[in-house]
Amino acid sequence: MTIASRQGIDWPGIRRYWDLLYVLAARHLKVRYRGSFLGIYWSLLNPLIMTGLYTAIFGSVFASYYDNSVLNYVLAAFTGLVVLNFYAAATTQSVIMVVWSGALLNKIRLPVSVFPLSMVAANVFQFSVGVFPLLALVTLLISHNPLNVILLAFPILSLILVCLGVAFFVSALYVFFRDLHYFYEVVVFVLGLSTPIFYPAAIVPDNIKRILVFNPLYPILESLRQIVLSGEMPEFYLVAHALLNGLLIATIGWLFFRSWRSEFMDLL
Amino acid sequence: MELIRLDQVSLWRRTQEEFSYDLKRTVLSIFEGKYRQPIKKCVLERVDLAVNAHEKIGIVGANGSGKSTLLKVICGILLPTSGRVRVRGNVAPLLELGAGFDPEISVLDNIILYGVLLGFSRREMRRHAMKILAFAELEDCALLPVKGLSSGMVARLGFAVATDVQPDILILDEVLSVGDERFKQKCKQRIESFWQSNTTILVVSHDLEFMKQSCERILWLHKGRVGFLGEPEEAIAHYLESSQMN
Repeated sequence: MTIASRQGIDWPGIRRYWDLLYVLAARHLKVRYRGSFLGIYWSLLNPLIMTGLYTAIFGSVFASYYDNSVLNYVLAAFTGLVVLNFYAAATTQSVIMVVWSGALLNKIRLPVSVFPLSMVAANVFQFSVGVFPLLALVTLLISHNPLNVILLAFPILSLILVCLGVAFFVSALYVFFRDLHYFYEVVVFVLGLSTPIFYPAAIVPDNIKRILVFNPLYPILESLRQIVLSGEMPEFYLVAHALLNGLLIATIGWLFFRSWRSEFMDLL
Repeated sequence: MELIRLDQVSLWRRTQEEFSYDLKRTVLSIFEGKYRQPIKKCVLERVDLAVNAHEKIGIVGANGSGKSTLLKVICGILLPTSGRVRVRGNVAPLLELGAGFDPEISVLDNIILYGVLLGFSRREMRRHAMKILAFAELEDCALLPVKGLSSGMVARLGFAVATDVQPDILILDEVLSVGDERFKQKCKQRIESFWQSNTTILVVSHDLEFMKQSCERILWLHKGRVGFLGEPEEAIAHYLESSQMN
């Protein structure tokens, strides 16, 4: 990470870090979508198909929890899938990033942190041109309130922070444990299932729900749904909870990454 | 002016065979009480080196004596376990040409990617891209993915990007010329022009004749320690003597 020197902020360092982030994120996107016809819009197809599937199977059963409206169920499932897909993609793709950069780090002096960060950045870009416009449009149509479109920034920012923290943590851990990605796949699966995406949170028994609150995606998803679906201001408590969660996880992830960083080079 | 200074630099690294990359096994070994701290090995031991501006320094030594590791410490890739490293000016490492190329993306994208990795800005690289393509004689391949190039072409591209801008300190690890005979001449000329100019050069090579002719001082590394530093003739004599003893 660029560190401020004693004289003040290290502008050339920040410029260099930004340039590195840009070329690496661009590289990830180019490799992913080279020669594909729909390009970045493939990322929209998955949540749309899954939303259709969930609605077909669970829509009529769960509609009563969504004011007897199947449309509300569709939107709830879609927002849930958007959040989960972003989380799953950004973090699982980041797992290998430090090890992936090993050959480079052995040849050229580079800030290690830019590699997991670049993968999250690539996903943020993909999100902002793919899913985000659709999400903003739906918000505008349902809430008739342009302010809500701006408020979308809070849950999305929280989500990015959570992903950053987890990406730093898992990519550093993967240097030491190269079988981590099998284990992490299970973690993502459990996290996805314990997030109320295609089922209403109301059907979860109370004693389980107390555990559910520790799922970092839960407050993000709830505040996002309030903004998209209700047209009212989201509960301040929920937004703050999501944001603090994000900041906490990002900080913890970064601290782990930083304290293990000196060990990386011997293992790459 | 002194550009590089190493004071009592030592480096300990984990030995390769100790690597355990397995979460399952590590957890099990902790439960069984068999977990051991990783063993570390001394790769560089109290190395002192001072290089002045415009100096051409050669480094010789047997395989595994720490030559490349020393270059990595000077580049800032590896941090010393103890001791101090000070480097002034921008360092261009030529540790391995072509590390940093991505086979999937185009030649042009790779020039910019590799250049930014080496420390140039994106704007600079876009300006220089055509010149680099011309030097590597790959203008016709600009939009081809790098995996479509032959290995000689990739090496040419690597050389062209890495030597595009004359650095203050040039670090060569045995890569003096690449490609076919004609391109080798071009490489030689470019390195020659660096040699004539004010660039400070550190070079690792097993070509002792070349080292004798072109270096002002030679550092002989022996098992991670400085065996000798000074007159090329004398340094090489020491090195040859020690290799005959074994």
